Amino acid sequence: MTNFLKWWQTVKISWVKHTAYRLNFFLQIIGPSLVFFFVKYNLWTSIFEQSATKVIQGYTLDQMLSYHAWAFIISLVAQGHGSWNLSEDIRLGRISSYLIYPFNFWEFHTASFISFQGIQILIAGVTLLFFSYISIISSFSFEVLLTGFTFTLLVSIFWFLTQYFTGLLAFWLEETWILRVMLQIVSVFLSGAIIPLELYPEWFVKILNFTPFPYLSYYPIQIMMGRDVSLVSGVVIICSWIVGLIFINKFIWRRGLRLYTAAGM
Amino acid sequence: MLSNIKHYLSVYRKFVATSIAVNTSFRTSFVMLIIMDLFTFFTTIYSIDFIYNHIDTIGPWGRNELLFFACFMLMIDNLHMILFSESFWELSFSIKNGSLDFVILKPLNTIFSVFFRYFRPSSCVLTPLYIFYLIKYGNLVGLGTLDWVLLPFMIFSGLAVLVLIEFCFCSAMFWVTEGIGINFLRLQLQQLSRWPNFIYGPLARKFLTVAVPITLIGSAPVHFLLDKSRYGLFLAMPVAIIILIFILRIVWEKGLRNYDSASS
Repeated sequence: MTNFLKWWQTVKISWVKHTAYRLNFFLQIIGPSLVFFFVKYNLWTSIFEQSATKVIQGYTLDQMLSYHAWAFIISLVAQGHGSWNLSEDIRLGRISSYLIYPFNFWEFHTASFISFQGIQILIAGVTLLFFSYISIISSFSFEVLLTGFTFTLLVSIFWFLTQYFTGLLAFWLEETWILRVMLQIVSVFLSGAIIPLELYPEWFVKILNFTPFPYLSYYPIQIMMGRDVSLVSGVVIICSWIVGLIFINKFIWRRGLRLYTAAGM
Repeated sequence: MLSNIKHYLSVYRKFVATSIAVNTSFRTSFVMLIIMDLFTFFTTIYSIDFIYNHIDTIGPWGRNELLFFACFMLMIDNLHMILFSESFWELSFSIKNGSLDFVILKPLNTIFSVFFRYFRPSSCVLTPLYIFYLIKYGNLVGLGTLDWVLLPFMIFSGLAVLVLIEFCFCSAMFWVTEGIGINFLRLQLQQLSRWPNFIYGPLARKFLTVAVPITLIGSAPVHFLLDKSRYGLFLAMPVAIIILIFILRIVWEKGLRNYDSASS
């Protein structure tokens, strides 16, 4: 019970911290996804208006716009968290406090992630209602939405652990933001967030399927669009990556602490 | 005037020298920055390439035209990364923690000492690659001799429009507590400029040409290079540069007056 209270208080504090600078939050978190969607909306509308064919690799204009609307919503829930403070905590020696607190470093950042997810889910919900209202997203069943949402939450845990992993590398590296940006660039390209994977060369998609990238955007979108995908294999693969990353992060944390010099103490 | 330019050039040489010394002392970060730029380059090129495997044209442009445009924008991006990008991030931190005091106390123009302070040598490593691809697609779209002569001038004009817009937007950091969001807004403007103007609807196009003229960065010069009858937007570039300098001087001055120096 005491532990639950600690979690709850940390979630509440993080919520306040995230929403303290609302303009900053909007520009930093919502803005990029919004602009990304705006560009893709215009790009695909322009492509379909010029194209003689009305279907490109199984996608009509409406389906393509719907694909990117779902990509927008999923990116809000699944790939929002950046763990920006994590590497700074290590580099500037702030984790010394966590080593004394009765609340671990990972617990603090996971609680922060949960509060961030709360905000993102709220925004994603409003966005979904808006897209439904203007008919970019056509009708969807509650069952499909629930399945897609659950899968997206799994993806968000995977993404958080990946960000946590890059943050922990601050024990060894001066700058970890480069790794985060690299990961972001590669995952946006390989996850089907820019263009659906059906437009990629077949050999390339076969290789991609051995990586977690398609599960970050393409699979959740397909689920949300009510298309036929192997849900079991998706869940198994993402869960395996989650378990693997938990062990890797634990290992890196232990090794990193041996190098930790508590800068500024 | 000439002695003033010589003075600023000598200061800039020092800025570059210290930036190179700092950047090369963290070798892993130096290499990772190069890899990051490589990823950006190839994901941009292949995203366009994959789309064109299924369609013939986007607007009036075929594969080579759009790839030439992309290389033009990537070239501007590369120069931007080398010359300016670090300074924007530094500005938001220095306003927040008050270390901007030390920058504005220097006997230099504050715009110069703020935005020209940091140089990123790692991005220079890939410049030959960007030039190679620009020449490759320039040849494929059939640029003439005059076009090749004009090309460097157009790249620098595009870069000037981009950074002037960004300088104006960054002046807003003086009014907000947390300036990182403004940097993200700046990145989104770059994102919008990386696609040709014809993909946007009439209203958005007008807004992105007149109000926030980011379509002048790449679309204006590339349209002119590919079709000499489309000189309207190209002629608007110097006008935009003059107007932006005028706006920048006003907002920067007001911003500095609003700066309350967190550390003093």
